[in-house]
Amino acid sequence: MKTPSVPLKKKKRSSVWVTLIPLYLFTLLFVAGPLVYMFVLSFQTRAEVWGVVNQFTLDNYKNILQPVYLNTFVESFKLAITSTLLICAIGYPFGYFMAKLSPAWKKRVMLLLMIPFWTSSLIRLYGWIIIFRANGTLDKLLMGLGLTDSPLKLLYTYPAVVVGMVYALLQFMILAVYSSAEKMDWSLVEAARDLGATPLKAFLTVTLKLTLPGLLSGVILTFIPSMGLFFIADILGGNKVVLVGSLIQDQLMKAHNWPFAAALSVVLMILTSLMISLYKRITHTTELEGIL
Amino acid sequence: MKNRTKLPNIYLGVVMAVLYLPIVLVVIYSFNESKISSVWGGFSLKWYETLFKDRAMFEALGNSLVLALCSSLGAAIIGTLGAYGFTRVKLRSKSVVEYISMLPIMIPEIILGMVFMTFFSLIGLPFGMTTLILAHTTFCVPYVYMLVKARLVGMDKSLGEAARDLGASEARVFFDITLPLLVPAILSGMLLSFAMSLDDVIISIFVTGVNVNTLPIKVYTQIKTGVTPEINALCTLMLGVTILLVVLSNVLGKIGKPKAGKHHKQTGELCGPGQTQ
Amino acid sequence: MKKIIALALSAVLALGTLAGCSSAPASGSTAASGSTAASGAAAEAGELNLYTWEGMFPQEVLDAFTAETGIKVNYSSFDTDETMLAKLETAKGGDYDVVIADDYIIETAIAEGLVMELDKEKIPNFGNINPLYQGQFFDPENAYTVPYGSGVQTIVYNPDLVDIEIDSYADLWDASLESSVGITSNFRVMNGMALKMAGESYNTDDVAAIEAAGAKLLELAPNVRLIKDDNLQDDMISGEISAGVMYTSQVTLACMANPDLKVVYPSEGIGFGIMAQFIPVNAPHPDAAHAFIDYILRPEVSKQCFEYIGYYCTNQAADELISEEFRPFLTLPEGFTADNMEMIQNVSAEAMEAHTKVWTEFRTACGQ
Repeated sequence: MKTPSVPLKKKKRSSVWVTLIPLYLFTLLFVAGPLVYMFVLSFQTRAEVWGVVNQFTLDNYKNILQPVYLNTFVESFKLAITSTLLICAIGYPFGYFMAKLSPAWKKRVMLLLMIPFWTSSLIRLYGWIIIFRANGTLDKLLMGLGLTDSPLKLLYTYPAVVVGMVYALLQFMILAVYSSAEKMDWSLVEAARDLGATPLKAFLTVTLKLTLPGLLSGVILTFIPSMGLFFIADILGGNKVVLVGSLIQDQLMKAHNWPFAAALSVVLMILTSLMISLYKRITHTTELEGIL
Repeated sequence: MKNRTKLPNIYLGVVMAVLYLPIVLVVIYSFNESKISSVWGGFSLKWYETLFKDRAMFEALGNSLVLALCSSLGAAIIGTLGAYGFTRVKLRSKSVVEYISMLPIMIPEIILGMVFMTFFSLIGLPFGMTTLILAHTTFCVPYVYMLVKARLVGMDKSLGEAARDLGASEARVFFDITLPLLVPAILSGMLLSFAMSLDDVIISIFVTGVNVNTLPIKVYTQIKTGVTPEINALCTLMLGVTILLVVLSNVLGKIGKPKAGKHHKQTGELCGPGQTQ
Repeated sequence: MKKIIALALSAVLALGTLAGCSSAPASGSTAASGSTAASGAAAEAGELNLYTWEGMFPQEVLDAFTAETGIKVNYSSFDTDETMLAKLETAKGGDYDVVIADDYIIETAIAEGLVMELDKEKIPNFGNINPLYQGQFFDPENAYTVPYGSGVQTIVYNPDLVDIEIDSYADLWDASLESSVGITSNFRVMNGMALKMAGESYNTDDVAAIEAAGAKLLELAPNVRLIKDDNLQDDMISGEISAGVMYTSQVTLACMANPDLKVVYPSEGIGFGIMAQFIPVNAPHPDAAHAFIDYILRPEVSKQCFEYIGYYCTNQAADELISEEFRPFLTLPEGFTADNMEMIQNVSAEAMEAHTKVWTEFRTACGQ
């Protein structure tokens, strides 16, 4: 039935490519262009006073191998792993239980998850300062309950940074898991139970397997940003935790070493891309669960 | 679903409570007379007064709104046309360009900030609202693009084909048939872009210029340089507006139900966030 | 990437609740049209782009200036000198009209040709400046800058929370101060502290000396609670930290809030700094910039400023106007002269790289 219209379509289609011009232009100019420049910059030499000299060098990459900077990557990974594990532990059950709610409640919980997005994430983090600071909410609570007798001094500590990370990224995990669990075929679980599987076994063999794409997507969605969220370490950690993100910012804004900042960015980007392609390899999908 | 134990609900409630705890505290302390947040100095509206007198804060808010509007609008145009074009034209460069245009939301924001700052400085573009809009549009395009693309994939193509067979021009097919069907997807993409742009700190810090403070930048410097509860007051107001909008849209949605019913059906498949493929 | 899932969230909001009502987003689109024009360097008279740290001027002073001259002041702020220089470099010495920053960075800015020579004809109040703060390394001929405050690095501690008597930098290493010291995030100041303890100059180019100082600094890490440039005094007042290395303005604010705090001028040597105003070479409104600098040099305006920022007053005509309660904090302590204090100056690229490395190492150690 469609065959007769083919020649007609071909003729008319010629003008449709116009709609692609904005995307092509914009992508090439403002995404590909800057990224290519970053790559070029990472091989250039920093000028004596300021700016960059057009002289090829590998020093910027060699520089990253210095223990101080390598250590920053290690520390960033440690923090990202700690945060991501905690986020999994808290977010997975949440997304899973949420998918089991009635449609009306699903919508309500979704709205509740969403409202904070419309307030500034910085201000929400500031709420944690109120909680953590000396003689703040938490101290008062614990001292009131008689659990501690002096301020805990939690603000500006490593745990405070972890809490901030978990708090800033938890919703992403919840939604990724939820989206997976939501479209899961629950009858499979019931079938497994009917066949005599224990709840735990049914969960491990059926549910976990089916929601794995969501979980992994959540891991990526929390792990990658957590390496760049320098302002959390800044505000809650008293500036003491040096992340790759803060290192790049320091090199760019303070040390004026643009090529080195570019090299750091290139390495970080490669690591990020590797993780995403690993995800695609494991789940055989092209898009991250929870994105759409 | 046979399991009617209350434990899951308690869990959901507890996590939700923890999520909202900092927000509630920010709201409570916006009414605090004392400047230091560890001391409760009694109920007061003085920080709201300070806030309304703070010209710079409102300028920053205005900048942020303009920025969010421009970038979501720009992203809507680029993303919609691009997604539409790719469904109609087969180009070998498609996958590459699509991949590159999606990169801005795939890589850590700090990298985007870094590349934009160096790139704009390279091409000699003065830092300011222009650079902010360009940078923000870049990371807004993927949102619109993905939502519109998903909608296009699920759409019935026969209508457009029928119109073309009847001799309608490409432009007419697009504007009269495809675009109206895409409106919900475009709007949600824009809304999302708007929210993302409104909350961005990292990229903005790198590409902002003289006297263009966005709200998040202002908040960031304020938090670093000594917050006054003014910030709490602002957050409370923003929260109030958000809740009001949500309630309002629910109410309006209910009133307009008969009319909106059709839309609901069409968009139903998109509602769940987990619709891949 | 950070917020991809928010996509889902908003999609639900938009599709689930807004599907029937398109009014909210539509109302926005009208406002969007003409706004692209609002970009940076529109060179119009009647405006002044002021660029400095947050909180350097009382709002009344800026308002009064606008009321008198009709020049609107756009105040933008940076967090560190280096950020300022980076922005100024990318703007090629344009965009901003008046910048206030620290001495050493001004030296660099002048060397890079980013600073305009002042037209003193347009600054009749130039003579009000206290000569003590003039003719320094960064501007020996006073051709480019007008000082706006000065300060020294000081240790402040809360005797209620500290068991020992602190009178030198070395005391900060005391084990009893574990996790209770706040320091500034200026690495030249902090590395310099360790250099001073070893009897070195702040400005040594000797990489080995800097690395040795770095090793000494690493031992301080367990005591460090907080690294922060701005607003350190609030953490002092609230008891978050019990001792801190602070700038003069912070000392003033901390001591005004809590008179029990003790101020110590470290026995190893005093670091001294000057902040100054300058006009970038391609400033869009140079006349407004000169008018502003002159306005700020008026004694009664200066008084208001200094009582607000809490730095040592650099305007000798304003000295006598300063009120009693501020006076002890706003004048250089007796016996201190520019000669027996050391200013932080620029060092060689190798030394700078060593400083950056030492500092990154130190910060990482603090976080563990």
